Amino acid sequence: MAVETAQKQSFSERHHFLLRRLHSLSGIVPVGVFLIMHLTINASINVSPEMFEENVGKIHALGPLLVPVEIVGIFLPILFHALFGFQIWFSGQPNTTAYAYNGNIRYTLQRVTGGIAFIFILYHLWHMHWLGNPLGGGHFDPHPGQAAITTAQAMQMSVWRIPVNILYAIGVLAAVYHFANGIWTSLITWGITVGPSSQRVSGVACIMFGIALSIVGLSSIRAFATMDVSEPGSSTHVDRVDSSETIHTQAG
Amino acid sequence: MSKKINVTVKRQDEQNSGSRWEKFSLDYESGMNVTTLLQRIAANPVTVDAGESTPVAYDACCLEEVCGACSMIINGRVRQACSALVDNLLQDRPDQITLEPMTKFPVVRDLLVDRSFMFNGLKKVRAWVPVDGYFDRGPGPKMSPHQQEDQYPLTECMTCGCCVEACPQINDRSSFIGPHAISQAILFNEHPVGQFEEGERMKAITGVGGIGDCGNAQNCVKVCPKNIPLTRSIAKAGKMATKFVFRNFFGT
Amino acid sequence: MASERVVVVGGGLAGLAASMRLAEAGVSVDLISMVPVKRSHSVCAQGGINSVNTATRELGDSEYLHLDDTVYGGAFLQHQPPVKEMCDWGPRIIDLMDRLGVAFNRTNEGNRDQRRFGGTMYKRTAFAGATTGQQLLYALDEQCRRWEVDGLIRKHEYWEFLGPILDDNGVCRGVVAQDMFRMDIRAFPADAVVMANGGCGLIYGRSTMSLICTGGAAGRCFKAGVKYANGEFIQVHPTAVPGTDKLRLMSESARGEGGRVWVPKKPHDDRDPMSIPEGERYYFLEERYPKYGNLVPRDIATREIFDVCVNQKLSVEQDRLCVYLDLTHLPSSTHKKLEGILAIYEKFQATDPRVKPMKIFPAVHYSMGGLWCDYEKNEQTGGLVLGSPRNHQSNVPGLFVIGEADYQYHGGNRLGANSLLSCIFTGMIVAPSVESYMAALRTRASDMPTSMFDQEQARHKTHCDALISGNGDENPYHIHDELGDSMTRNVTVVRYNKNIEQTLAKIDELDERYKRIRLSDKGNWTNQNLSFSRALGDMLVLARVIARGAMQRDECRGAHYKPDFAITAPDADDPATLRQQAIKWCDAFQASNDQWLKSTVCGYRPDGDHEFGYEEVDTSLVPARPRTYGLKGAEIIEEVWNERMKKKSTESAADTQAVANA
Repeated sequence: MAVETAQKQSFSERHHFLLRRLHSLSGIVPVGVFLIMHLTINASINVSPEMFEENVGKIHALGPLLVPVEIVGIFLPILFHALFGFQIWFSGQPNTTAYAYNGNIRYTLQRVTGGIAFIFILYHLWHMHWLGNPLGGGHFDPHPGQAAITTAQAMQMSVWRIPVNILYAIGVLAAVYHFANGIWTSLITWGITVGPSSQRVSGVACIMFGIALSIVGLSSIRAFATMDVSEPGSSTHVDRVDSSETIHTQAG
Repeated sequence: MSKKINVTVKRQDEQNSGSRWEKFSLDYESGMNVTTLLQRIAANPVTVDAGESTPVAYDACCLEEVCGACSMIINGRVRQACSALVDNLLQDRPDQITLEPMTKFPVVRDLLVDRSFMFNGLKKVRAWVPVDGYFDRGPGPKMSPHQQEDQYPLTECMTCGCCVEACPQINDRSSFIGPHAISQAILFNEHPVGQFEEGERMKAITGVGGIGDCGNAQNCVKVCPKNIPLTRSIAKAGKMATKFVFRNFFGT
Repeated sequence: MASERVVVVGGGLAGLAASMRLAEAGVSVDLISMVPVKRSHSVCAQGGINSVNTATRELGDSEYLHLDDTVYGGAFLQHQPPVKEMCDWGPRIIDLMDRLGVAFNRTNEGNRDQRRFGGTMYKRTAFAGATTGQQLLYALDEQCRRWEVDGLIRKHEYWEFLGPILDDNGVCRGVVAQDMFRMDIRAFPADAVVMANGGCGLIYGRSTMSLICTGGAAGRCFKAGVKYANGEFIQVHPTAVPGTDKLRLMSESARGEGGRVWVPKKPHDDRDPMSIPEGERYYFLEERYPKYGNLVPRDIATREIFDVCVNQKLSVEQDRLCVYLDLTHLPSSTHKKLEGILAIYEKFQATDPRVKPMKIFPAVHYSMGGLWCDYEKNEQTGGLVLGSPRNHQSNVPGLFVIGEADYQYHGGNRLGANSLLSCIFTGMIVAPSVESYMAALRTRASDMPTSMFDQEQARHKTHCDALISGNGDENPYHIHDELGDSMTRNVTVVRYNKNIEQTLAKIDELDERYKRIRLSDKGNWTNQNLSFSRALGDMLVLARVIARGAMQRDECRGAHYKPDFAITAPDADDPATLRQQAIKWCDAFQASNDQWLKSTVCGYRPDGDHEFGYEEVDTSLVPARPRTYGLKGAEIIEEVWNERMKKKSTESAADTQAVANA
């Protein structure tokens, strides 16, 4: 604190403000938008497994473009948002014990939920995404006829069934809180909600949005966790090794 | 009548020495405030267990909450010692009153801290109206009562340090300039003549330690003894910064 | 040019205004202050700042009337040329502060709003809520910060002034000051020194003043040979809220905005004040002074409150003296303009003054007197010769005095909202005086032998060490309490010689005991105990100046009121007798003026037997007249006096005519 700026500034110092704004932005577009898409597509399982698979198919229709889109549009922004976020977290000094104001609790929660969400995302990637294949994860198979059942199976695996579901619920809630509160603060950061009354209104809107998105997210967990995995016509054996390639060729 | 008050003071002899707690037992008198307690200790610096001590060093001046000198941590929360009435403190916690120096500034001695950091912040944001000189040049700009009402609360900032103390974003690992300085920058950016130097101020506001480092915990506005709408200033700074950066990026 | 250095001691309105004006002229300034300048006592000024303005001018107001109100309010004890100059500058100073960004309240059209203050019939007072002093100080603080960034002002905050440095010819060549953190003592060589050290309310123990208003710096200048004038004129503000550590001011603006002072007609009526019907309330100021009402000058309001509580025994409470200051009838828009003081009352008294009348009592507030300083009259204008090195220079060459620390402008009683004006004004005009003084200097501080500065530094170090090592049995805080008690009891609102004598004896006793004080902190790091104890020594010196001055002045003038020397007011029912009484009254008034219309000027003697002299007052612009403020029943005095003046002027006209004819 209070150290006078040195003559030579580092890259992050020179672009301090832009990086902060990029961090704020990245949390909403693309990461937040992706979160909404992801959770609503998942929730379509509540309509029917076919509906869910149709939605999954739409995404995978990108074919060979999917991987670059995933990397540039999702992985890198999340990684940037997370790493920069950790730096912000550690440059702060939470003090909710002395100052237990709502705003302060929100502030601390924003950091904690960000951390939880990031760890959860890593787990989730291992658990569901084909990237997890080499480590014994990657249970999700996007093929039509497989997508819903493999997800459900992954959520209902033997003894881990309950902890996995709890973990998913925590992860989803953390991500949703982080996103909803992030929208609220970004409205301040960008100077859209200036006065206390507009901040109150946007606060209510963000709470409602957060509750809605939580319901959407939790409903799909519940649906996959309770889905009958021994449905006729569905295979319990998943060919994990070349699933991604098969999808690509099929989609192409 | 001889009701006693237990006062525990965190003491530190010099800038780099360690701290210790000292307990004083003082006669209660109705209408007392914390500065009175410190005056009583100065007149008779005898601790409960260790006997004769020295008067507690502290900052105090106007004793009516307009000079900003006597900020300290009283019962765990930062506030002005002069307006901290003993009766109210005893209601919250009947057994004792605890006095500590603020933690975000270097301690000079006991409860006395060095707040140069805050005054330097005012220099960085060039918190003044850049008039030509002090010879007669007629009246200042006309201003609507509405504008005056916006301006007046911000001009009441007495650089007391409560906002800085309660802000989780201000600590050894961060260079955040503090809510008070941002609010003063806004005050002058919105002044009809002060705005001529808006660009200079926005350079500081968008630099390291500027508005980007605010974490929206909003403790500042809660602890401000003058109820200055600091978060409004912060949001305005966000808005001005957005515009400033866009203008710089696309303009000229 | 570049080698010229000025030390300014004190960073309130006056010190900051002087510093910024000097910096503007290219002079390097060392600004020494015990506290960060932003925390100076000027922040406590609430109500506003006076000047003639476009609105009052339409109603017949003028700079001359501002002068007239000021000297009438001050009981004619001030030299009129500086006051005239100040009143002339008023509008310009408000304009300047406006340009510097002070958030003055506005009218719907966007002009500065004005309120009425005591001792005038015009709404002259510009204001920023009820924290005008704070707003003005911050504006000057900001400008000085700007010069600090530019390098022309060097601030030394948390440095305490220990004394001026005089060379063998008695010329001031700098100051010695002490770092209040590290306790280093250092000499600051300077070509001129400007003292802007404020008032000395702490001599009275608790007052409306800040903890730093000890009078320490003034006492140190006095001991170094600067004369002290009109010390006995101490303003007691009528409306303050008693507290255990200080008496908190409730601005005159509360009355300016329509607040009313009253007591229940039934002594110690314990009903809820709001339930006491109008007919059972005694609005004593309004009843006695129908013209000015609640806005009589402070000395009068204070005496009336005292009289109602002490002599008429009508205090609101039985065991404590107080009267009601009632704002409950005012609209919320007015409450908003007074927010600053209402918040103070609410915070410290835990009662909402918007719905319940405040309980207030007078408190020591301002020192009209102070270090003596000179001026040069402009014979053409009747004001000052601007840029004359004599303006604000004390009897010690090179040492200038401004702001509350000086004795000019307010005479026997200061009008509300004139102090902010006088502080900024003196800061503004002292700069060119200092410049002219320095331009004429043949030798500079930098030409002086360093040994001179070293010696002074060492002298103060020795004094400081002696205080620390003192091992007596006296507690400085107790001495201060006793001093404050005695001064407040005997040398404030109502003064009797036998009581003042008691206080003088008390001061003798305390002086002796002071020699045996023992500091509870003997350390050499941020020793506030030392700072306080040292100031206590100076308080004792000034207390004696104040008490002796009061003792010797056997008359009533402004804030100095001795019932034994009061002229009995005419009270006969029979018109002829009444007129006779009024004639007698005017004779006595004339005689009193002949004897006492002069300033007390006191010089220091180490044995405490200070040298008291008197200085004629320049009343060339507004001749002295009875100060009745339209008191009910006193109309006859004004009538008789006016007749007498008329007669005198025809006579002198006839004389001139006769001389011309001859």
